[in-house]
Amino acid sequence: MNNTVEIINTKLKDYTIKKKNSFKMNANIVRELVKKNIKVQYRNSIIGALWTVLNPLLNMLVMWFVFSTFFGSGDEWYALYILCGNIVFSFMRGATVQSLPSIVYNRGLLTKNKISQFVFPVSANLGAVVNFAFSSVALLGVMVVTSIANKESAFGPTMLLILLMIPALFLFSYGLSLVLTAMYVFFRDIQHFYNVLLTLWTYLTPLFWKKGDLLKKAIPAEGDPGLLYYALRFVINANPMTQFVEYFREVTYVATTSGWTLDFYGFPRLGVLYLIGLAFFGIGTLVFSLTRKNFIYNI
Amino acid sequence: MEQTNEKNIKDFEEMVKASEEAPSIEEDYIIEVDNVSLDFYTRDEKIDNLKEFFIRLIKGKADRKAVRILNNISFKVKRGESIAIIGHNGAGKSTMLKLIADIYRPTEGKVTVRGKVAPLLNLGAGFDQESSAKENVYLNGAILGYSRKEIAKKYEEIVEFAELKEHMHIPIKNFSSGMVARLGFAIAIDVKPDILLVDEILSVGDENFRNKCARKVKELRDEGVTFVIVSHNMPQVKSLCQKAVWIENSEVMAYGEVNEVCDKYIKYCNDKK
Repeated sequence: MNNTVEIINTKLKDYTIKKKNSFKMNANIVRELVKKNIKVQYRNSIIGALWTVLNPLLNMLVMWFVFSTFFGSGDEWYALYILCGNIVFSFMRGATVQSLPSIVYNRGLLTKNKISQFVFPVSANLGAVVNFAFSSVALLGVMVVTSIANKESAFGPTMLLILLMIPALFLFSYGLSLVLTAMYVFFRDIQHFYNVLLTLWTYLTPLFWKKGDLLKKAIPAEGDPGLLYYALRFVINANPMTQFVEYFREVTYVATTSGWTLDFYGFPRLGVLYLIGLAFFGIGTLVFSLTRKNFIYNI
Repeated sequence: MEQTNEKNIKDFEEMVKASEEAPSIEEDYIIEVDNVSLDFYTRDEKIDNLKEFFIRLIKGKADRKAVRILNNISFKVKRGESIAIIGHNGAGKSTMLKLIADIYRPTEGKVTVRGKVAPLLNLGAGFDQESSAKENVYLNGAILGYSRKEIAKKYEEIVEFAELKEHMHIPIKNFSSGMVARLGFAIAIDVKPDILLVDEILSVGDENFRNKCARKVKELRDEGVTFVIVSHNMPQVKSLCQKAVWIENSEVMAYGEVNEVCDKYIKYCNDKK
């Protein structure tokens, strides 16, 4: 008799403990999902995860080959310019594109298990962090090569600020992912719409062209710059990706090669990036939290 | 010595606390379904794109219509007892399981579950099609609240029970339905759940595996696992469950002792013919 009561008690204890550890449980799920996403991405490819390094590198070479005469004239660091912009933009693109259909795609898991819907956008964004880490290897390689070619080191202490910037970029991309993922459950045409928007966004962000050069071209030789100039400047600066891309570039190599001091490009601008990140994070969390209980009826 | 004593006292205190948080053991119902109703909202035509949504919105036709899937369902299951949900296709049986699994939220009423629920077992259980069987074992283990280490310990056992040793690296999409069912069953029973929800799965697979499943189910039932079974196989239901709920047209037609309910259902089916 005593024995049976004990068994029941341990069972109840086990249950209460399991319920309390739901954060740890979700962390385990996220880890498996991130691993799965990366594995599926490179299944049946010969060099596997090496593609995450090669991909930005090859992209950079193509862009460098095509655009160096148009936009990069006079800039011996142009290869780095392109690569920096590319890997930051790829972080956001990779995370959002993977996250967007994730709730619908994982309907098999969601309709049969009790899982937090948040694990899918979270794992898509953490997957982007992993890819970003791989891409950084390509970045370091190109930094070494260009440093040798220019007989000047591109490496400097401001590079440490990259580590402080990544969380802000993560918050931004995660918040955006949450909104897109929630919307896709209810409106499937968001995917096509977002793909077109992404193409437009790629061209509106200074990835291969330079903000200063473009704005200079928009100013007429004499007189007032005109409405077009102000509109263009606003569109470029209001684009959050412009802020992230430029900051990343500056702390990675521009500050060092131009001899800027750290205090000029230090923390106020980082603060702006965090404000953008937190705003998107807040909006995304709100939208997702309010809609997620209805996901199950629409997938 | 003193330390062990302290540890024992602490353990005991935790145990007492855990049992205080939980309901008293005498009147312990592991599942309570109390006047539960569930509505699905549908439109005449399903709108799943923005263009249509805005056109409807402008025309004022975007209002939704509630369809009652389950109406005023009540039943209780004691710890260690098993219950069958029977009825015709589309009566709302699987939906009832999803309510117990906390996948759907009831529109009205309350579902109380006091224990760990294993995943809904049916064809193509919660697996990711692109991943290999092995990855799915780890993913499902994580979903059920186990760490990678704990699952690694259980892995061999799961593979052995499912009899899929040579196939664990193959993506699930290339599995036959019988193989998927076997893997799902093996995972679910290995995580030692308090409640196992079974949807039509016990009649899948070859003769050999079916017998193995039946044996395992009886074994687990004797250990005190509660089964909630959706099945059309009346002899099986009668041999496994003490109670049954018969759901027809979203409502409970009969609820009580298993033989009684099953006989009523069979009679109803024969009369209909």
